[in-house]
Formats: sequence, structure tokens, C-alpha cells
Amino acid sequence: MKFSYNWIRELVTGLETPPPDLMRLLTLKTCECESLEPVGAHFAQVVAARVLQVEPIGGSQNRKAVVDAGPLGRRIVVCGAPNCRPGLVTAYVPPGTVLLGQRIERRVIDGVESDGMLASGAELGMNRDHEGIVESAPAGCLPDFLIDVENKSLTHRPDLWGHHGMAREVAAITGNKLIEPANPSRIPQQQAPVSVSIQDFRLCPRYSALVFHNATVQPSPLWLQYRLQSIGLNPINNIVDVTNYVMAELGQPMHAFDQDKLSGATIFIRAAGEGERITALNGESYHLTPAALVIADSSGPIALAGVIGGLDSAIGELTTRIVLESACFHAASIRRTSSRLKLRTDASMRFEKSQDPMNTVRGLARALELLEIVSPGIRLVGGLADVAAPPQPSHAIELPLDWLIRKLGRPIDAAEVLRILESLEFGVCSRQPGLFSVSVPSWRATKDISIKDDLVEEVGRMVGYDTITPLAPVVPAAPPPDNPRRRFHHAVRRITAAQGYDEVYNYSFVSEQLARRFGFHPSAHVAVANPVSSEQGLLRVSLIPGIARNIEENSRHFDSFRIFEIGFEIHKRQDTLPDEIPHLVAAIYHRGQDAGPLFEGKRLAECLMPGCELSPAEPRLFEHPSRAAQVHWRGTPLGRLFEFHPSFVESRAVALDVDLELMQRLSPAEKRYQPILRFPASAFDLSVIAPQRALAGVLQQQIASLAGPRLHQISFLRLYEGPPLPDGAKSVSFRITLAAHDRTLSSEEVSAVRDAIIEGMRLLGYDIRI
Amino acid sequence: MLEAQLQSLAASARQRILASATPEQLQAVRVEVLGRKGALAQISKDMANVPPQDRARIGKLLNAAKTELEAALESRENEFAAQALHARLDSEWLDVTLPATGPRPGALHPITRIQQELEELFLSMGVAVLDGPEVESEYNNFDALNIPPDHPARDMQDTFWLTDGCCLRTHTSPVQVRGMAKLGPPLRMIAPGRVFRNEEVDPSHEHTFYQLEGMMVDRNISIAHMLYFMKTLLRRIFGCEVTVRLRPGYFPFVEPGFELDIQCLICGGSGCPVCKHGGWVELMPCGLVHPNVLRMGGIDPEQWSGFAFGLGLTRLVMMRYGIDDIRLLQSGDLRFLRQF
Ligand SMILES: [Zn+2]
Repeated sequence: MKFSYNWIRELVTGLETPPPDLMRLLTLKTCECESLEPVGAHFAQVVAARVLQVEPIGGSQNRKAVVDAGPLGRRIVVCGAPNCRPGLVTAYVPPGTVLLGQRIERRVIDGVESDGMLASGAELGMNRDHEGIVESAPAGCLPDFLIDVENKSLTHRPDLWGHHGMAREVAAITGNKLIEPANPSRIPQQQAPVSVSIQDFRLCPRYSALVFHNATVQPSPLWLQYRLQSIGLNPINNIVDVTNYVMAELGQPMHAFDQDKLSGATIFIRAAGEGERITALNGESYHLTPAALVIADSSGPIALAGVIGGLDSAIGELTTRIVLESACFHAASIRRTSSRLKLRTDASMRFEKSQDPMNTVRGLARALELLEIVSPGIRLVGGLADVAAPPQPSHAIELPLDWLIRKLGRPIDAAEVLRILESLEFGVCSRQPGLFSVSVPSWRATKDISIKDDLVEEVGRMVGYDTITPLAPVVPAAPPPDNPRRRFHHAVRRITAAQGYDEVYNYSFVSEQLARRFGFHPSAHVAVANPVSSEQGLLRVSLIPGIARNIEENSRHFDSFRIFEIGFEIHKRQDTLPDEIPHLVAAIYHRGQDAGPLFEGKRLAECLMPGCELSPAEPRLFEHPSRAAQVHWRGTPLGRLFEFHPSFVESRAVALDVDLELMQRLSPAEKRYQPILRFPASAFDLSVIAPQRALAGVLQQQIASLAGPRLHQISFLRLYEGPPLPDGAKSVSFRITLAAHDRTLSSEEVSAVRDAIIEGMRLLGYDIRI
Repeated sequence: MLEAQLQSLAASARQRILASATPEQLQAVRVEVLGRKGALAQISKDMANVPPQDRARIGKLLNAAKTELEAALESRENEFAAQALHARLDSEWLDVTLPATGPRPGALHPITRIQQELEELFLSMGVAVLDGPEVESEYNNFDALNIPPDHPARDMQDTFWLTDGCCLRTHTSPVQVRGMAKLGPPLRMIAPGRVFRNEEVDPSHEHTFYQLEGMMVDRNISIAHMLYFMKTLLRRIFGCEVTVRLRPGYFPFVEPGFELDIQCLICGGSGCPVCKHGGWVELMPCGLVHPNVLRMGGIDPEQWSGFAFGLGLTRLVMMRYGIDDIRLLQSGDLRFLRQF
């Protein structure tokens, strides 16, 4: 939201703080000021001028005008505006003035030297009118500065959505006096010509209105247009502009109805009927439900409460009788309606911050004054129509001084606290020393301030957070509670990276299309209800699709690489939050058609899970049908190791996918030392002739179980296929090491074991080569 | 007679040892002179013919000649061995500028690196590291943090809603709620993790990024304590003394709430493009924990108080490494990731 420096100055007596300093002070004590922008610098040069004489220029649309520019004397300008006519008072821009970033120079146009120019409202930055030059003197228009405040930092401050609220902060900061622009005592105590009926005080705590007759709808004075245009509100006509002006000044949204377009003399504030419609000022037609609050006359809705007025009851050029609304609505209800209709207006933005019900009459009083200026002859008819919920009993907040000091972490004396709170118009009394009883002004009481903690901020920001000296908290020197899961994940990361894998991060999202491609059914996923794009439609149940994409993209730049990700698979559960299972996926890519890196992947599995085993597994859609394995560790299956199916990744790529939660659970808590052999061991080699697809792991297990208790170690030596072995056969060689802890085994003992293995394997149907 | 023969033999052998050009020539000398059938063995046989009165003296001479020649042989052999070794080593010259072999260790993701660094820092300060889920209940993400339904603060956060009514957490703050329930007061905790905002992605906006939540609850925690903690933290993060300032900031789960700015480290506060010429960089929201939040976490706000803060890890990573496009972090692009 933009704030005019001049406007604030009007509301704070004797404010001399320059705009940049004011902006800094407000940032430190009130809200975040983002930028400072000068506007209307040209008004230092622009003056009022009367057109004396207008002559055509042969062969041109332009005309030559002679103007009386007051202190600048008589000037000749070339002007193309159709409304340039003798007697018109308008705005004259002398040469040397910068207008819309361009310097106006004395120059010859159509053979006539133009000494400056006459300007339109758009050129002067007062409105959007390009049609002709302005029709009155630019009186009251001065160079100004706009302070742009981050709206988020005003979320909790309904009072700061108007200049007067900001001026109150400024006055409190600088110690100057705040001026009250509204004078409600000017509204006569008389019967109102309209009556108000509120269906539900919770949704509309207050509705106030005034009726005016004999209005003239016309453009506002230029100073008013300029002020609205500067802060981003488009001037429309004098009546609407006054409602916007009051909103920008007091934060109170208002609306003007054409009384002659209303049916009956009662204004109803009620829930919309099912299927009721309204055509709004923006020309859009809205279907309503009872969730929306409407302002209605006896024949139907005339406005969407707190959001936008209706087109049918709007002020038009011929309007002379006006009903001026100033009301207060339930914040959440307005917010819901405006977000359901996707219609955020200046009014709804303010109402959803919880407006002060006390502000409605103030707004009307200020409007009364302004209407008399902008619509001479306008007449207030009768008195105030005002229906309000019974006032909420306001309770004072008990603020103990010692508690405040403990919260701030700096000493502060009672007088200082009193001064600060009173400068912000809190009511403070102190019945006993060290204890304040603080009553909250109505404009801060709707949502912002209700407990003593809220007052810590008020005192803290005004005394200055920079006056608080950092202080070390006194805490016990105790080690914090452990997080074994996180430690475990970090260890897995370290080991995996040490094996040459680079870490990647992928999104938690997957598109429906990608999920289907990998054979995961969309309905098995947790789905996003409001994704920005279909890429974020589902939450991943596997890290594999992301890793496959990483492989594909990186293979454009690298011939071979290793990558890994640690992330969560998100699985649906009934009636509770989804199961988030941490997984490691590590992948290896090699361009070309060599054997493939499956055993490199197996090495990583062994680094992470010493002694883990693989078994052939039923392939999934994206797995190479002859190169897919389940990973077991300590008897528990906990992952997969597979080569990608060539239709998923060209060339060779392998992935290890492990459930880290299981892996952590299976990891040994501690290691025990085994004594080193003190006596020599004996080793011999055996080759088993087996069918080509017999599993070496199974052969090794069989040998191991035949070897008996003296087996110290069995290790794979080599694999051989080819002559002289018959087709379909292979030879797998192992080295068997026997040992005892208490002696050297005799050659007879070794031979006995060896013979037992050979005998046993032959019984199992294998041929043995020695 | 035998004595003269011995002397002449020794002299000639010495000569031949010194003159031998190869280990083979030297070996020939050894065989001819010191071998079992060599010249010295012959002389030793001839000793029988030496008159007894000379035998002891000549025997001594013979032994001396043998010892001397053996030493000479050995010395010459050592020379040859040394030469051979030198020649071999010389032939084994390597071009040390060739590339290294063996596996190149992988790179950890820059967010992992910073996150681990911060976790270690906090652990050293006695702060527990907690986790929370990426999918959160609406209650934990909003209500328990004093953001009731229809609160305008919900607008600040573009939420990914899930079809079951849960949401992807929009901040790490829900871990405050979990932390209070898990640890109870007094407590010191951080929770780094992935958070989500429903917005379009461009070089400076991501729908997925990382935050680090922090919370301390104890007796009589004040703004002064929070300032101390923040300054200590930032000194470690940036490796230098940083000037900070607190200004009011609105977050429903703290009261009072602050934005903590640091004086621009690029320009030192005089103004530059990084700080948008303001001299200050907005770094982290923080504040004293709102009593409603303590209450919802099962902690009595009359007995306990605390502070909380949120650090943008992704932003910190980008500042630390000068990364200008946030999308790189989740691109999986090794040309980027291998730089860390
Ligand atoms: Zn800077």
C-alpha cells in the first residue's frame, strides 16, 4: 500500500522529518517500507493559466493559444486539445519542466514556436484522462513522495490501511500532535430517512448511513484526483472519489448508492438467497449462495457486502440523491466471499483485516465535509441511520512492569511505559505501583491487541529494539537429545559419496503421466488438490522416476557417472498422515553396451550393509528382466538392485533402492572384536561344474555347510565357461580356508573336510574339478 | 717362493676386481680366485710343501689375502647392485602430470553441506535436531501456530492442499508443535527440512525449498536472549561479526514478532544492488513464542517463555555460493552439483 507523505503531514502537526528518515523510522518501529518514490515533481513549475485567445494553424489539427500564466506572464503555446477554448482555466507547463520523464522544451510545432504546453490530467499524473487539457487550475497539487509499504507487514493492523492510522504512528514516533480530520458532531441528531435491518450481527456488527440530496455528479477537484491517482486509486467522479478518499484516509471502506434506484426505504444486510444474482460494478455477474452476505433493498441485492457495489444502484451522471454506506463486516466472511469469487477489492482487503466498528460514523462525518466541498449545494437529509451490535465489554489488560522488563530484557521505567502507551492512545492507569491496567483503543482491539504479550511489542518497538543489549541465556550444559535417524542418514550420505556418487535433490512431486509410465497407479499416490501444473499432481511413491530423469539428462553431458538421492517415499494411509519412508537410491550410468555396472552397485550395497545378499527377483516394469535382484540383509528384504530396462534408459544404468528405515533398524548397534588366528590356516581350491544359471551364491552356501565347523573363510575365485566344458555348463572356483583357534589342523583333518565337500557336492549332482 | 706367488696372485686379482665391467666378469674372478678349485685353494693345498717354520706366517698371509679379496669382491658387487638399481629406477620414470586414478569421491549437495554444518553448530550449542513430516495436518501447519482458518496470514503462504485435506508444510514451524510435545520444557531445538509453496518457478522462486526452524523455551526468555543467540549463530554462519537489527514483523506464532536484518556484507551498509541500496538484508523472521502456541504445545506460558526463528536454508546456500538461479538446486545437473 502506498502512503502520501504530504497527506501524512496534513494529519501530523509540524512534521518536519524528511521522507527518507520517516521511512526508516517507520520500518524500525511500525511496518516494512519498501521504497520511496517522488511524484508530481513538476508541480513545482506548473501553474494555472487562463486561455485568452485560440487561432487555427493552417493545415494542422493543432491550434495556437495565447494564455495568461499568472506570475509567468503571457505565453504562446501550440495545443491539440479539442477543449482548448478562450476563457478556460487550465494548467500551463513552462519549458524546462520534466513531465512523465520527458523534459518539455520550447520548440516549433507546425511553424509556431510553442513556449511550453497545456497539459491533460494524464500528463499531469492526476487521472487517466487523455482527451483534453484539464478544465480547472491545478490548485493544491504539490510535489509529493510516496512511501510504499509491504502489505504483509500490515496484515494484523486494520488501522494502518488508511493515512490517519499511519499518521498516528508517525506522531507517536516523532512526538508531534495528531490531527483528527473527522468531526461526527456535525451530523445532526435527527430521524434518518432510511432504516437499516441487520439479519446477523456477527456478520455485520455495524451499519451506518447518511442520505444526501441535491448532489451534482462531476469530476473531483484536481487536488483530490491527484491524491487518489498517486496512491493508485482511479478518480471516477466526485461522489465515488470521496468514498475512496475517506477509505484511504481513515481506512473505512464506503459505498454510495443512487437513492432513486433503490426500492423502499429499508436497507437489509442479510445472507444471499440460494441462486440470487448480482451484477457488480465491474460488469461481472455473480451467482450467490447463502454463504455470501449482501446489502439488499426490498427487491434484491444492491451490493456484495464489503466486496463490491452493484451496477444497478450505482452513482451515475444524473444521480442527485445519495445513500452513503459506512459499515463493518465480519472479516472471515468477507475473506471467504472474496476468495470464492476471486474478487479482491480495496474494500475486501480492509474488511478481512477486522475493521473497527467505531470507525463507521467517523467515515460518514469526514465524507459529509468533503462532499460539501466537491459537490456545492449538496444537502444532508435528516440524521444518521446507525444499527450496531451491542458493544462488546472491553476488558483492560493487566501489564506488570517487572514482567514487561523480563520480556524485553532491558530495564525501563514506569513513566516511559506510560508515555509510549499513551502516545499510541492506549488508556493506562496504575492502581498499584508496578502494575498497569491498559485499555486498548477500538482500532487496535478487533484482532491486533488482546493480551499483555501484544503490549511488549508496543513498548519494545517504540523504545527501540536497538536499545536492547544481547544477553546470554543461562542454560544447563547438557548434551541435547540424540537424533539417531538423522545421524544415520548423514552416515549413509558420507559412505555413498565416498564411493563416488554425487548427491542430487529431486522434487517430491511426480506427474500422473510419469507415475503411469513407471507402472505406479495414480490412485496409489497422495494427490495435490491445487497444483500449479500437472508436474505437481502427485506425491512420489518412489525415488526411481526422478533418478531416471537425472540419468537421462546427465547422459547428454557425461559418458559415465554415479548419483544418489536420499528422500522420502510418500505412501497413502487411511485416516492419518501418509507414511514417509526414507529411501536411498543410488545409480550408476555407463554409456555403451558392456557388461553393465550391476556389480559396482553391489559394492555400494556391501559398503552400506556388510554381508548383504542378492536374490533374483520378479522384474518390475522398468527393470531389466534378467538383471533384477532383491537385496536382503540379516534375513530381511529391504531393497532392490537392478539394471534399468533399455526402454527406460538407453545404455547401461543400474540402480540400488534401499529402505533406510529398515536399514537403520538392522544396523548393528555395536561391533565386537574377534581374536586374530594364532595358528596357521590351511587353504585349498575347488571348482564346481554347474549349469549355466546355477547361482554362485547358492553353491558357496552349499560348500560352506558341507565344510563344517573348521571353515574359516570361503571366497569366490573365478568363473569359467567354454571348452572343454560342455555348452550350458560353467565352472565356479572357490578357495576354502580351514583353521582352528587352538592348534594347527593336521593334513588328515584338512583332507577329511575336503573329501566331505567333494562327496557332498557330487551327491548334490555337481561335478568337482580339483 | 709360495709367498711371492701369493702376493702376485693377490695383486692381479685386486686388479681384475677393480677392472671388471660387469657382474659376470666379477663372478668369473670370484670363481677363478676364491672358488673351490680356484687359485687360492691351490695355494692352500701347496701349503703342505711349505717348511713348517714358515707355515704359520704364510697361512696368515693366505687368510689375509682371502679376506681382503672377498671384501673387494663384495664392495664391487655392491657397486654393481647400486648401479643396477639406479638404472631400474631411472627407467621407471613417470609423468606425474597425468590424471589421478581410483574413484573420485562424490559431491554432497550444497544444501546438505550447509545443513550439516548448521546441525553441528547447533548440536555444539546443546540444541536438539528434530524432524517433521513433509505432509502435515492443517492443524499443525496453521491452527496450532495461531493461524486459525480464514486468518489473513494464510494468504501469505500459498499452500499445496492435498485431496485428503492435509497439506504440504508451508514452513518448518509445525516442528515447533511436535518439538514441544516431544521434548517438553525447557527445550532447545532446530528442525531443518523441505517446505513447499504453491507458486510458479522462476530463477528466484521455487515451490520446493529448505528452511531451518529454531526454538528455545525456558524460564524468563527475553528479547535480549534471542538477540544473543542470533548474533552467535550468525557469527558462525558468516565467519565474521555481523551487525543485526530487529524491526517489527508480523507472524501469528510469535509475539512480539521481528524481521531480523543483517547489515549488508557486500557493501558494509553503504548500499549496493544486493541490499537494494538499503544497506540491510532481510535474513530471518523471529520472535518470542506466542502464548497460544506454547499452550497448544502443552506448555504453560505463565511458567515458560521462549523464542523461535526461521532461517531460509536455500537462501543462505545461494548467498554462500553466489548461486543466482534457485532452480539449479533441484535440477540434478551434475555440471552444477560437482562444483561442491
Ligand atoms: Zn549492500
